[in-house]
Amino acid sequence: MNFLSLIKIELTKIKRSKILLILFVATIILWIPSIINSDMNFNMQAEGISPENNFFIQGFMGMAWFMFPASMVVCTVLINQTERTNNGILKMLSLPINTKNLCMAKFAVMLILAASQILMMTCIYYTGAAISSVTQSYNFILPPLFVLKEVGLIALSSIPMIAFFWVLSVCIHTPVFSIGIGLVSIVPSVLIINTKIWFAYPISYQFFVITSEYGKIAKNLDTTPIKLVPWIPFAIVITIICLSLSCLCFGKAERR
Amino acid sequence: MKLSLEYKKIKRTGFYPAFLCGGILAASVPVINMAARSEMYTKQNGSPLSILLNANWEMISMLNILLVVIGTCTLYNTEYANNAIQKMKSLPIRESTIFIEKWVLTIFMCIIVFTIEAFSITFCYMHWFEKENNFGIELFKNLGFSFLLILPCIIISLLISSACKNMWVSLGIGVVCIFTATIINRNNFILSLFPYVMPFKIFDSTDSSKIIQYIAAAIIEFLVLNIVERIFIKNKEEAI
Repeated sequence: MNFLSLIKIELTKIKRSKILLILFVATIILWIPSIINSDMNFNMQAEGISPENNFFIQGFMGMAWFMFPASMVVCTVLINQTERTNNGILKMLSLPINTKNLCMAKFAVMLILAASQILMMTCIYYTGAAISSVTQSYNFILPPLFVLKEVGLIALSSIPMIAFFWVLSVCIHTPVFSIGIGLVSIVPSVLIINTKIWFAYPISYQFFVITSEYGKIAKNLDTTPIKLVPWIPFAIVITIICLSLSCLCFGKAERR
Repeated sequence: MKLSLEYKKIKRTGFYPAFLCGGILAASVPVINMAARSEMYTKQNGSPLSILLNANWEMISMLNILLVVIGTCTLYNTEYANNAIQKMKSLPIRESTIFIEKWVLTIFMCIIVFTIEAFSITFCYMHWFEKENNFGIELFKNLGFSFLLILPCIIISLLISSACKNMWVSLGIGVVCIFTATIINRNNFILSLFPYVMPFKIFDSTDSSKIIQYIAAAIIEFLVLNIVERIFIKNKEEAI
């Protein structure tokens, strides 16, 4: 069975899980206060940021800090629990499929879910910006190229984090610990992006990226610029370690 | 007797060590914060306790709420995972009793977590601040207030996880609610009555006129949510 059809099967499994609804509700809730309080975007002269940029960046910072990582933890629970209830995983492991491919297919589903949440986020951003433009009689809509660039950056920089959550859920079988470590590790990311070793902490990557983008478009605000050199190698190494560990651990407990 | 049954059931889910680890982690927040930036805080005006709480309570309560959400999810996940709940239903035990036993356990673990946190705050006070009268009483008042305000959060999380058969749904709803709590304007009284926002309140920085209202609101929410659970279970039984 080739990799694509494996992914297709995994997607069919989570079809009725209502996960997209949960992800969607989270993004809606994120934008409601921004739309209601859109007049506050005009009071940001101290930072030197234009209202439309502020509207965009505040929303996406809210997402990158807690909502997006926490949603990804929920997705790992979804993928694991669908297999473990009724021992579905045993049937999957008895098929003539390479378990590493199975593990990677599940990770690919994680990435698809992440991408779909970011996509929803972008769509609702445009809707929200359009609503705010009408209520405030000011154009909040940013050019799509700029938005796509920022959104793409967030998506790419979140891959190591997703790999980290994935290895947690594969290797730690007690759900309370895998979820607990995942969710708790999100909390200190606010502090870690201000330290020098932020690049060693994959959970803070996407938040760091969006914060430094904030510094770029706000003239009077200094944030640490992105330095590619220690970061990219670190991110790649972390991702590879996490993925290979998860491939090694996958299905081990069940096969014993 | 029945409580000990619940205790044993949950023993192997890692519920207890998770709460203990979470409590220690939350307790380490003020210690690390003080160790890293002690000068910034010792120079501030005000009572040591309110300085400590203002600096750290946000993060501590966030960890507490996360613990409660994860804990309550696992409490019901063990029931639903292998259809254990059906066996429980066939026993001469009422489902609402199970619910009550589960919240008793969660509340008990929360008391332990709050005690660990109280020790760490006391440690920070003894180590970095000058001695003051009434510190113990003030600490008790503050943590007692926060503890009362976390009760509705416990009940509503349990209610959600008892209603959802799948763990990711209850966890997802919990995460969305926590996220909502972080973006809600906490100075608005009505909005801050949302169960997931209340635990963020600090006794010292709340209006003294509002304190009674908050406590009353917490108790009312606690009772109402319990009644909701009763009705919910009854309807579920009739549906089957």
